[in-house]
Amino acid sequence: MDFLVPRRQHPLGVLILAAQFLWRFGQQAWPLLIGVSLGDNALRNLLLGGAGFLVLTGAYALVYYLRFQYSVEGEVLVVQKGVIQRERLQVPFDRIQTIQLFQGPIQQVFGLTGLRVDTAGSSGSELQLVAIRKEAAEALQSILRRQSKEPVPEQGEANLSGAVVEKSMPAASSATPLVSLSMGVLLKVGLSQNHLRNAFAGFALISYIIGNRPEAITAWLDSVPALLAPLLGVAFLLLILPGIVLFLMSGVVVSMATAVLKYYRMTSSIGEEGLHAEMGLLRRNTFQVPFDRIHLTLWRSNWIRRKLGFETLEVRQAQAQSESVGGLKVMLPAMEPRHRAILEAELYPDLTIPPVRILKPVRRMRWILWAVAVLPSGLIWLTWGPWSAGVVTALWIAFSGWTTARRFASLQLTIHQDTVVIEKGWFWRRRILLKLSQLQGVEWERKVFLERRSIGHLVFHTAAGARRFPYLRREEGEAIRDFAMNQHHAGSRRA
Amino acid sequence: MMADAFDISANPEVDLSQVPKLGELDFIGVSPAYRTQRLLQWALIQLVLALGILSPMILRAVSPSTELPEEMGTGILWVPLVVQLVLGGFWLLEEAFGFPRRGYVVRDRDITYRTGWFSRSTTTVPYGQIQHLELTQGPAARLFGLKHLKLYTAGGSGNLRIAGLDEEDAESLRGVLDTRTGKG
Repeated sequence: MDFLVPRRQHPLGVLILAAQFLWRFGQQAWPLLIGVSLGDNALRNLLLGGAGFLVLTGAYALVYYLRFQYSVEGEVLVVQKGVIQRERLQVPFDRIQTIQLFQGPIQQVFGLTGLRVDTAGSSGSELQLVAIRKEAAEALQSILRRQSKEPVPEQGEANLSGAVVEKSMPAASSATPLVSLSMGVLLKVGLSQNHLRNAFAGFALISYIIGNRPEAITAWLDSVPALLAPLLGVAFLLLILPGIVLFLMSGVVVSMATAVLKYYRMTSSIGEEGLHAEMGLLRRNTFQVPFDRIHLTLWRSNWIRRKLGFETLEVRQAQAQSESVGGLKVMLPAMEPRHRAILEAELYPDLTIPPVRILKPVRRMRWILWAVAVLPSGLIWLTWGPWSAGVVTALWIAFSGWTTARRFASLQLTIHQDTVVIEKGWFWRRRILLKLSQLQGVEWERKVFLERRSIGHLVFHTAAGARRFPYLRREEGEAIRDFAMNQHHAGSRRA
Repeated sequence: MMADAFDISANPEVDLSQVPKLGELDFIGVSPAYRTQRLLQWALIQLVLALGILSPMILRAVSPSTELPEEMGTGILWVPLVVQLVLGGFWLLEEAFGFPRRGYVVRDRDITYRTGWFSRSTTTVPYGQIQHLELTQGPAARLFGLKHLKLYTAGGSGNLRIAGLDEEDAESLRGVLDTRTGKG
């Protein structure tokens, strides 16, 4: 399948575009719609206004569809679009960071696929084809990917690029399967999410709805006979415990629902061409991330996930300068230790060699930080005085001392030949991996108080954001900084 | 395992003492004219703030007949003045101690910029990762013959702004970076 001639998307794309525009314009135009419907015959005006809005949006979608054409010219993806102002976008393949296929409900019914191309350019531009046939999407993806994978290194080697292309053709047979979620595992993933946060989200929604209609509650209370009022109070007290249970259960339900929506029938694998993943119920996303575009790997786990033997993998690619895109990341839950071993062996082969250095933060800093944290509570106790406050304060001091010690003990920086491993967190544990050869910069940072103690923080700037390791001794930090730059230059010279 | 995890040095092949050290190099300071510009900026802002705070008093002095609202009495003016004194003093301290610390080092394959007194940072960016450069000059900087150099890296977290370079220095630095950026 070739894309030399500019072509339109699948005709059903009009429908999808119309749905998208309805949603987008509807969010902006609803006050207008309400404004129109004011007056004598409100219902008729509202219907008329709504119909007019529908027709206008539909016409807009149709024109947008007719004007939208895409083609491939050489090694550039060309898109012409625009309803009022026409524009011609040219995206060179080697600028493409991610190619993502997605299927919303409409696309799934008609066997179509959307294709999204992200570039990490300073403009943060992205391109979306909403509806093309699945075969066409896959063909286009492999065309874009084949050439964007190997950025042409030097002018002199340009005529060798044919051979390079042959070599990096995706070989589907060599893919190693990673996690695939069955329904049971999916439910476990849902169970191990942060229910409290989800419960609060649900609670906020309910209280928002109630808060908007307080007169309904007062009216109901007024209607209750005065004799029953004390009973109502008792009933309210009795309801507190079930209320808390209900609150937590709603959190679990929200967790389950989001897990199913996001990770339904998830499959993932790694092959020669990179990391591949597919997931989702209503909107199915297909990710294809080449290894050399992965700038940061994050493993997250909490206490429940560790009990289940799970970790969540987060793979981050280069961010656009503008924050609107929000970074390009792929999350894969329910990774087991063997999956981590497979992925890390592929991505960071130097982890098998013993590390150059293993560093811990300066130990006495934890006592200083702990003292700063508990000082206010101690002062309150001293000025206030009742013995119960003293007990609470003592408990708080002990608890915060214990957690501070645990958190500090969990901090570890491991430096390999080309890989930095940052481990932090004790209850919520994180393991962050980044490559020295991909570094965008290193920063040695400290406040004036720390400088006096010869302590500072080491910041690794990557294309996917900065990561910090705190409270290193100055000579250690500077040695690691110099080593990192040295390895970076050595690594990029090899490439 | 956390007890004495310091100084575990396995893999002796990489000798950390042989790695080129940044700390041994001399940093080149930015233009002294930039210090004058910053001090003038400081004085101007402090003056405007002080005038703003003292405006009720000035108003009374200029036209004694004007009736001021009760809340605008001159009795509590010392509160904002003290706040300004503390903040302005801290800023002046930062300028006084921080300015001599501003400086950069240009190596064969990377550039390092050091800045700050209260909150100090030393950032190194390899030329190969610089996406594009920007030389800027506002009206004040033009008056003092200064230019600011901004380096953009992918992702934006490693962006570097070297402010207050002499025009010639800025151009020659740009020349050095132009020939090396993007080549790894």
